[in-house]
Amino acid sequence: MIKDVRNLFGKKRQRQKPDAVVQKLMDIVGENEVLYLKEDLISYECDGYTMSKGMPKAVVFVKSTKQVTDVVKCLNKEETPYIARGAGTGLSGGATPLGGEVLISLVKMKKMLHLDLENRKAVVEPGFINLKLTQSISDKGYYYAPDPSSQYTCTIGGNVAENSGGAHCLKYGVTTNHILGLEIVLPSGEVIELGEEGVPDRPGYDLLGLLTGSEGTLGIVTKITVKVLKNPEGKKTVLAYFDEIDDASKAVSEIIAAGIIPAALEMMDSIAIEGVESAAYPVGHPRDIAAFLLIEVDGIAAGIEDQIDEILTVCKNNNVREVKVAKDEAERGLWWANRKMGFGAMGAISPDYLVQDGVIPRTRLPEVLTKIAEISKKYELRIANIFHAGDGNLHPLILYDASIPGESERASKAGSECLKACADVGGSITGEHGVGIEKSAEMRFIFSDEEIAAQTDIRAVFNPKNLLNPGKLFPQPGRCAEVKKELVKA
Amino acid sequence: MSVHEKGLANLVEIAKNGVACETKTLGNYLWDDLPDENKWADCVHCGMCLEACPTYQETGEEQHSPRGRVYLIKAVAEGKINVNEAFSKPVFDCLDCRACETACPADVQVGGLIEEARGQIRQAMPLKGFSGMISKTALKGVFPHQNRLNMLGGFMRFYQKSGVQTVVRKTGMLNVMPTHLKDMESVLPKVGKPVLGRYPEIVPAEGETKQRVGILTGCVMDVMFSDVNEATIRVLTHNGFEVGMPKQQGCCGALHIHAGDRETGKMLAKQNIEAFKDYDKVLVNAAGCGSALQEYHELFRNDPEMLPLAKEFSAKVEDVSKFLYDTDFKRPKAEVKTKITYHDACHLAHGQGVRFEPRQLLKEIPGVEMVELPDADRCCGSAGIYNLTHPEMAGALLDRKIDDIPENIEMISMGNPGCMLQIAMGVKKHGRSEKVVHTIQLLDWAYEKDKEEASKQVKS
Ligand SMILES: Cc1cc2nc3c(=O)[nH]c(=O)nc-3n(C[C@H](O)[C@H](O)[C@H](O)COP(=O)(O)OP(=O)(O)OC[C@H]3O[C@@H](n4cnc5c(N)ncnc54)[C@H](O)[C@@H]3O)c2cc1C
Ligand code: SF4
Ligand code: SF4
Repeated sequence: MIKDVRNLFGKKRQRQKPDAVVQKLMDIVGENEVLYLKEDLISYECDGYTMSKGMPKAVVFVKSTKQVTDVVKCLNKEETPYIARGAGTGLSGGATPLGGEVLISLVKMKKMLHLDLENRKAVVEPGFINLKLTQSISDKGYYYAPDPSSQYTCTIGGNVAENSGGAHCLKYGVTTNHILGLEIVLPSGEVIELGEEGVPDRPGYDLLGLLTGSEGTLGIVTKITVKVLKNPEGKKTVLAYFDEIDDASKAVSEIIAAGIIPAALEMMDSIAIEGVESAAYPVGHPRDIAAFLLIEVDGIAAGIEDQIDEILTVCKNNNVREVKVAKDEAERGLWWANRKMGFGAMGAISPDYLVQDGVIPRTRLPEVLTKIAEISKKYELRIANIFHAGDGNLHPLILYDASIPGESERASKAGSECLKACADVGGSITGEHGVGIEKSAEMRFIFSDEEIAAQTDIRAVFNPKNLLNPGKLFPQPGRCAEVKKELVKA
Repeated sequence: MSVHEKGLANLVEIAKNGVACETKTLGNYLWDDLPDENKWADCVHCGMCLEACPTYQETGEEQHSPRGRVYLIKAVAEGKINVNEAFSKPVFDCLDCRACETACPADVQVGGLIEEARGQIRQAMPLKGFSGMISKTALKGVFPHQNRLNMLGGFMRFYQKSGVQTVVRKTGMLNVMPTHLKDMESVLPKVGKPVLGRYPEIVPAEGETKQRVGILTGCVMDVMFSDVNEATIRVLTHNGFEVGMPKQQGCCGALHIHAGDRETGKMLAKQNIEAFKDYDKVLVNAAGCGSALQEYHELFRNDPEMLPLAKEFSAKVEDVSKFLYDTDFKRPKAEVKTKITYHDACHLAHGQGVRFEPRQLLKEIPGVEMVELPDADRCCGSAGIYNLTHPEMAGALLDRKIDDIPENIEMISMGNPGCMLQIAMGVKKHGRSEKVVHTIQLLDWAYEKDKEEASKQVKS
């Protein structure tokens, strides 16, 4: 009898045959470049946002623009929906299938095609890793400014799609401010070049701006020309511990009001500190503070000392408990590693987390944090806060355990209410992580039906059959009704 | 009933009544020694580990990344997929290099989880037929028995044996293996005689005794690189340590645990725990073995009797370079004029977090000029017997490692015999001339020079 069940697993497993669409994809890219077995696909069920999952039909690895074109044309003909995927670190489900889409993975298109330091630009394929760009030009004194905390692994193609920001975007701007040109495969299979490499910046619509941040719903980016910057002459980093959130946020406003534009101005609250201190790069922050500020100034060496003095004074005037300047590069590196691991570090204190991405006017921080604390109480879930304080981009991290029935739903509702709190003070529901699947319903917090329709009309121009990344970014008629009902109840 | 049959019986019971018999199960894990749920619960799917992983760097495939592997292992527990070949591949293609553990902000123990999953796979899909027999001969019949291993004589023969075992394990690799084995043969060190048994069980300290320490002589190390063991004994005794080598000690079991044979791993662990029970310090000069010893308690997670003993043992284990640095080793005075670089063995850097100390030992030898190796802690592809089971992946990683070696270097130092062999092979293959040495050997040479100069002075 035992012998019979052996066929259920182990060696005798029947190899499932590829279906017609998969076979056609294999004809384009080669048999080994298509995954279609359940076991090979399951790890593609979601990206960095784990609350919604869907099985793709297949994953195709493309190596050239030509292959992307051929794959897109093929899928168009077969009327099979498809999604571009980079490293899958997205935090709103942008690269997550709803079920049955073909994932076009761009990670094997990872070359730097051209480096022109004289004109301060680089041309890369979409799968090029963000941090690798800086690493490969740093010895020559240059760097790539947008630095999402996921920069160790996320792709520049993904950054373009999400218009990603980072700690240093306060002074230098987000991805869109660093893109000079794009090559894009449209859902029709047509290849267009925008910006420097193709059509120069002419009067007319800013298509480069439209495509950047379109969350992979208008086309697939296959080549990117980015700006690279000269390393600043000097750089100093300050860490300031506060006993009251109010004092910390007043300090933030006063620093900006003093005319200083720090390269970065970050805040973490006590639960976030508990997380990073329990994780891989503990700094030894005191556990009993309400928040710390991590402030970096850079630029021409001469002005830096004065700015640091002024920052120290502002902190002292706002009852800082302790404030210090990084004594060397090693200490600065540790402070940043500790901060940049912030999200992942939540794994050390909670099985799952949901990160929200609200934007608020800086001055409203204390009030929004009070509201978030109330939400935390109401849903009985701990919420940590990591804040790009300089530009008002707040990341409440809702800690939950997906294995406890009902907790995911509670976390999701708490997340939605946090976004509502941000929208209510005149802010927005996303600063840098995108809308994706996660926040599509919440788009209604900030847009009217007409405004949403205007945007889906634009999508229809590029993506008429809505085969490219369907169901993302804009509310699905069904779901928004549900959310509305929930909110009315709340 | 064998463990394998127990799992099958479980499956039958589940099919019949919806409940398992006898052994506890977890989703589609039906066999003894279930993987640890807490390990995957820590993973928040952030992907920070992706680019640290050599197999992801090479393939770009999520299921060959740490995040993907953890996801698959969890998916079996959730009953979404079965323990089968498609699951086994990504799990066995892992190098066990632990680079992901260094990168992971949430401290997920990916390596331990992979080993536990391999244990389930080997019970679900035992190696059968010829491959199973050969595997048993090598992993069960040879490694655990020091005398038999020694009897195999020259390392070449030994490695060929273990090679054969792994060749047949993966069909289709027969044609790749011979050239690979030839490459390896060509760099085999001159086989010395093992120190275990040849040296007295206790070697006294030079001068005043600071402390008594035990050393793991290791199986591969002692057969292939007995000169490294000799150097280790000299360096330790020179530093005032009495060195003990209990005869009952055996193979550390790392290769078995990596291969999913946790039962033999446990047997060897018990043997070593017993062998070193009278020592408060167990020093290791092979990073892979050191890591395995430090993780013995993971093997006995579900064994309340052994667990405290294993924990106590693991806490005594330390890498020899770290120990020497921490105990303020004697600074050599004579000059050893050479330009070197240092490769971080995975199980030293990622497994034990030891990076600083060996570099410092080297830098403090007068005359030694140290040039950093770019990406020094990326796996060289040796990874236990990975270079035999996965020659292609291992070869790609080795080529990258050799390409990274800075110009005009005379020696490449490291703390693991597997890496020494692999890198020596790469150096040879690429027509280069760097000498591959163990960190302790360099220190030993420096002390030797010290002694030579001292004796010259006495004469003059
Ligand atoms: C720990 C952690 C920290 C993070 N920190 C930050 C942060 O500080 N700032 C920030 O902005 N974000 C952050 N993120 C979010 C995420 O890393 C970014 O959104 C990143 O840009 C996604 O890149 P990716 O390569 O992983 O893209 P994916 O997740 O694979 O895809 C994201 C979206 O882009 C689309 N896409 C991908 N490649 C292409 C392409 N070539 N053409 C068209 N569309 C494409 C996908 O369809 C999807 O909609 C963080 C994420 C994690 C897990
Ligand atoms: S141990 Fe090494 S090969 Fe295995 S998943 Fe981690 S980084 Fe990848
Ligand atoms: S293993 Fe660690 S780094 Fe990798 S995805 Fe999980 S939590 Fe993130």
